[in-house]
Amino acid sequence: MLKLILYRLALAVPQLLLLSFLVFTLTYMVPGSPAAAILGVAANPESIARLEQQLGLDRPFFERLIEYYAGLFRGDFGTSFVSGRPVLELFAERLPATVSLIAGGLLVSIVLGLALGIIGGTKPGSFRDRASTAFSSVSMSLPEFWIGIILLLIFAVQLGVFPVVSYVPFAVDPIGWMRGLILPSIALGIGGAALIARQTRTAMAVSMSSRYVDSLTAVGVPRQRVVLRYGLKNALVPVLASTGLTISIMLGASFSVEKVFAFPGIGALMLRSVTGKDFAVVQGGVLLIAIMVILVNLILDVSYGLLNPKSRPS
Amino acid sequence: MSETTTTAITLSEPDDGRRHTTNLGRIVSRMRRQPGTIVAGAFILFLATVALLAPVVAPYDPTQVFLDNVLEPPSAQFLLGTDDLGRDQLSRLIYGSQIVLLVALGAVIIAAVIGVPLGLVFGFNGGWWDRIGMRFVDMAQALPGMLIGITVVAILGRNIVILMFAIGLIGASLFARMTRAVVLVERNKLYVEAAEVAGLPRRQIIFGQILPNLVGPIVTQGSVFLGSAIMIESAMSFLGIGLPSEIPTWGAMLSLALDNQAVAPHLTWPPGIAIVLTVLAFSVFGDGLNDALTGERKRLPRLGLRLAQAEEERAARAATSVSTAPGAVTGTATAVVHGDDAVLVTHDVSVALAMPDRSQTRIVKNASLTVAKGEIVGLLGESGSGKSTFARAVLGMLPPGTWLASGSIRLLGEELAHRQERELSHVRGTRMAAVFQDPMNALSPVHTVGMQLTEPLRLHKGMNRTQARTRAVELLERVGVRNALARLDDYPHQFSGGMAQRVAIAMALAADPELLIADEATSALDVTTQAQVLDLILDLRDEYGMGVLMITHSLGVVAETCDRAAVMYRGRIVEDSPVATLFSEPRHLYTRSLLDANPANAETSGRLVTIDGDLRVEIDGLIDQLDAEEDAR
Amino acid sequence: MTGDLHTSATPLLDVRSLSVGYELPAGLLGRRKVVPAVEDVSFTISHGETLGFVGESGSGKSTVGKAILRLVPPLAGHIVFDGRDVADDGARAPLSYRRDVQAVFQDPAASLNPRQLASHAIETTLRRHGVTDRIEIRSRTLEAFEMVGLTRDHLQRFPNELSGGQQQRVAIARALVLQPRLVVCDEAVSALDLSTQGQIINLLGDLQAATGVSYLFIAHDLGLVRHIAHRVGVMSAGSLVELASTEQIFDAPQHPYTRRLLGATPSSHPDGRDERRARRQAFRDASSVVLEAP
Repeated sequence: MLKLILYRLALAVPQLLLLSFLVFTLTYMVPGSPAAAILGVAANPESIARLEQQLGLDRPFFERLIEYYAGLFRGDFGTSFVSGRPVLELFAERLPATVSLIAGGLLVSIVLGLALGIIGGTKPGSFRDRASTAFSSVSMSLPEFWIGIILLLIFAVQLGVFPVVSYVPFAVDPIGWMRGLILPSIALGIGGAALIARQTRTAMAVSMSSRYVDSLTAVGVPRQRVVLRYGLKNALVPVLASTGLTISIMLGASFSVEKVFAFPGIGALMLRSVTGKDFAVVQGGVLLIAIMVILVNLILDVSYGLLNPKSRPS
Repeated sequence: MSETTTTAITLSEPDDGRRHTTNLGRIVSRMRRQPGTIVAGAFILFLATVALLAPVVAPYDPTQVFLDNVLEPPSAQFLLGTDDLGRDQLSRLIYGSQIVLLVALGAVIIAAVIGVPLGLVFGFNGGWWDRIGMRFVDMAQALPGMLIGITVVAILGRNIVILMFAIGLIGASLFARMTRAVVLVERNKLYVEAAEVAGLPRRQIIFGQILPNLVGPIVTQGSVFLGSAIMIESAMSFLGIGLPSEIPTWGAMLSLALDNQAVAPHLTWPPGIAIVLTVLAFSVFGDGLNDALTGERKRLPRLGLRLAQAEEERAARAATSVSTAPGAVTGTATAVVHGDDAVLVTHDVSVALAMPDRSQTRIVKNASLTVAKGEIVGLLGESGSGKSTFARAVLGMLPPGTWLASGSIRLLGEELAHRQERELSHVRGTRMAAVFQDPMNALSPVHTVGMQLTEPLRLHKGMNRTQARTRAVELLERVGVRNALARLDDYPHQFSGGMAQRVAIAMALAADPELLIADEATSALDVTTQAQVLDLILDLRDEYGMGVLMITHSLGVVAETCDRAAVMYRGRIVEDSPVATLFSEPRHLYTRSLLDANPANAETSGRLVTIDGDLRVEIDGLIDQLDAEEDAR
Repeated sequence: MTGDLHTSATPLLDVRSLSVGYELPAGLLGRRKVVPAVEDVSFTISHGETLGFVGESGSGKSTVGKAILRLVPPLAGHIVFDGRDVADDGARAPLSYRRDVQAVFQDPAASLNPRQLASHAIETTLRRHGVTDRIEIRSRTLEAFEMVGLTRDHLQRFPNELSGGQQQRVAIARALVLQPRLVVCDEAVSALDLSTQGQIINLLGDLQAATGVSYLFIAHDLGLVRHIAHRVGVMSAGSLVELASTEQIFDAPQHPYTRRLLGATPSSHPDGRDERRARRQAFRDASSVVLEAP
């Protein structure tokens, strides 16, 4: 078990190195000068040079590279051009909102997705299978932000059941926090549910037509037990393998859901920084998010190894 | 060798009568048969037309501002209403379609142009190229697409080409991965080796084989990714990092709709519905394309299922209406009924199969067979003879689309035909059990061997976990697994083929059934392993005295293990004799031909006898005659 | 199946101390491990002779075939074909070798390109070996088809429109169209129905009688090999444990593994099965070797 974790960690290190290097070189890819882009209309050679010096953009490549990595090890992911605050701090502030949202979305996705998938997959070709497949197909075509807008329109604006501005930090008011999460989680989760439903359905259908189902049935194990005990666990293997991707997609989708529900999350921060040309935040943010994703995948990989004995390194 | 029938009988698509000599023709005809794909295709065409003819179709200029008609609901003048600058929504919607299609198309092309060559390089070269390259691709795929999009826009700015590039970059990893997979599969195909043996240079072979095989997946992937590209573009426009806001895009329209939700709810619907329909159309079309190209339409026998259920009920009613007195069943069975000693007595069993055209055909016809206590009875036949179907009929595990049309199946005196599943699951394991052909797949790969082995013990013998484990260890030792206690917690893939089959046998015999059905149990094993497993079955039979129904296509297996054997051909049992008689004095022409055609039987010089031509016609004639006689009755 | 053997002094194929290995995919650190699949195997095949090669899965018999076909490089040893050691040839085998040494593989459907017509397989081969005249290509393809018992109709079919036996005939036609001296048959009939097996074996025998081609017939079924081979080699775990004439292998096997293999091969008649079973049991009791890897 420990071996598995260490093995996956070892794989992650080169990934992180590569990623951080790529991120570092991003500022060099800006056509023209970042300082010019920030100053915009007010740009003239003196102000550009002054800003560049201020931001340290005029120093040689290797010096900045070393400074960059030194900073990373210290936990310094850069400083916002606009607010002057450390990027890490800005992110830490906004992490709870995003994490709450994604957790809520995942919950909806998994519960709804598994249910739909099992319903369809245990009787492939039946009416209930076609119904749930149709539902999944349509759901995957619904933009999550549109679902959010509609939910907001119906439940908040017109019915007044939910508040329009949703986020309440957990520490302040747990009930309000949960209430505020309901609509956004549904908006975010429906697309994910469709993905999971599709995979679960295929996996269930495959596992139910596997030979071991015959073997177990031939020894007198009742069908329900074969389905729930044996079929499901086998079906979960491919589903779990793709959960990492689902989470990654959900992270991207959370940006627009955050906008709909005015969540003070990471997405909002990133967007603001892009439009405001705050490269430091964009740069640091990309790296931070990427690290988060790698960590989540690591956890998932380990769980996958727990679930599927064949994939454990021998 | 020949495979036994699979659990579900998949019906092939009925031919439409015409033969298309070109692949394209075949593909198009397949697609034409799918209504969903046709509708989706029509919608896409419609959208493309609207986009092309936007200046003609749209009632107003999309950027034209009507400050007197701000935020108006739909009216005769503005069919879909206006936004906060009084711009006509319908016109913006129409012009928006241009952007949507343009960006999506551009993104897909860029994704393919970047991804496919990368995939080719990684797949072709392998080695370090592949290792490092795929790390990159994995990484790119793991990151949220939105992140990549944001970064590109942040660095390079906001215009339509950059947007295409950003989205294309997101999709490139998908194309790279898919291309590489195709290359790897093709590289390993046998005909590449065969072509190489013929002297063709390796590169040429792979290129020649791979490119045509790539077209299909690329087109499908492209079609599906088009849908995703549209979603991503809409999201980015919604977030304000897509195109500048003067250019009408559906995503930007939704952003405005959000801002003005309280006062202008009508803004919410048109762009959203447009997005949904477009994305749906592309993904349905892509799926249809995929099905048509791979030719795989796993047409599940829903039709057959319903017909089978109806017919099964009818047969059950017919069976119960005839008084079935317990005890000896008279009939034309050639086998001797052993009375009290009989474990299994089947009489005139017929299994029917539902055909695509709603007719039915019998795949097992009037089969009668008995197995006595301690007796090993062989059921010998080639593939398609119906032997496995017969076994499944006895087990009550007939595949969907087939049913027991008539006949009686008595296990230890109790009638099993047409019994409910619930009742049958009590009979299985305790009175009869089975092992199947492929030992590596016969056990669930994600559960330990111990868990599966103790299942019948806990279910049928009421043992608790500890008792069951102890007994399981005994069983494993009995079937020859060393280190049984430790092995209980191993997984099936940690066993070799022969060992896994022994475990399967142990599981089958755990609850002491009186009948063991071995369906091609050794066909997938090596010769020496096969001998070991067969010897095991013989030993177990000697010790426990159960009856064994040994289903096989191998004369050798019958010769080595069976006391009696029945020969099956085209659904009928054509001969049933004690094994010595079967081999020395076969009565039916088919049996004689089988024996003659066995290479192991042949003289060491001269030609092998084969069952073909006139001989086959003669044998078939005998069967046809029987069929005709029965139909007349 | 005894034909007249060319008893010439030099054998057609002379394999000496052949070793072949497979490279395991490199782990995280790029360490490359080589697993030996065949170790120190030596045998000869004369003109017009059929050498049967039997063994269970993992014995290395197919690997030997692949090495002779130059599909995998040997680690060590010599493969002397017609007096020339081809093991030295480097990565690409010369075209002449490809003409002289051909193959028929196990899975007929997989060895033919599903996207090409059946005749295309043969036409490509001819073209590759320098036959350019279209008319000649057509006529030689038709000739090859007829030699294996197929007709003109079959030329225009795709592989999935042919039965397993017919597909294998196409593969044989492809192998023989260039009039090779040696054909490696790697489990060539194992995937076919019982009746079809007999037909293909008869065909192979007829072709040998007509053209004098030699076969390396690789199989796991001893009974099959008995009928077709002049001599038989037995492979186990990468080594050639016994090599002798067919009669000798079956009537008086020397090596314990050969005896075990024979004992395990199901017989063609129930007579004597109790004795065979007892012998197997005795072997099991006496043997202290672990018979099966866990």
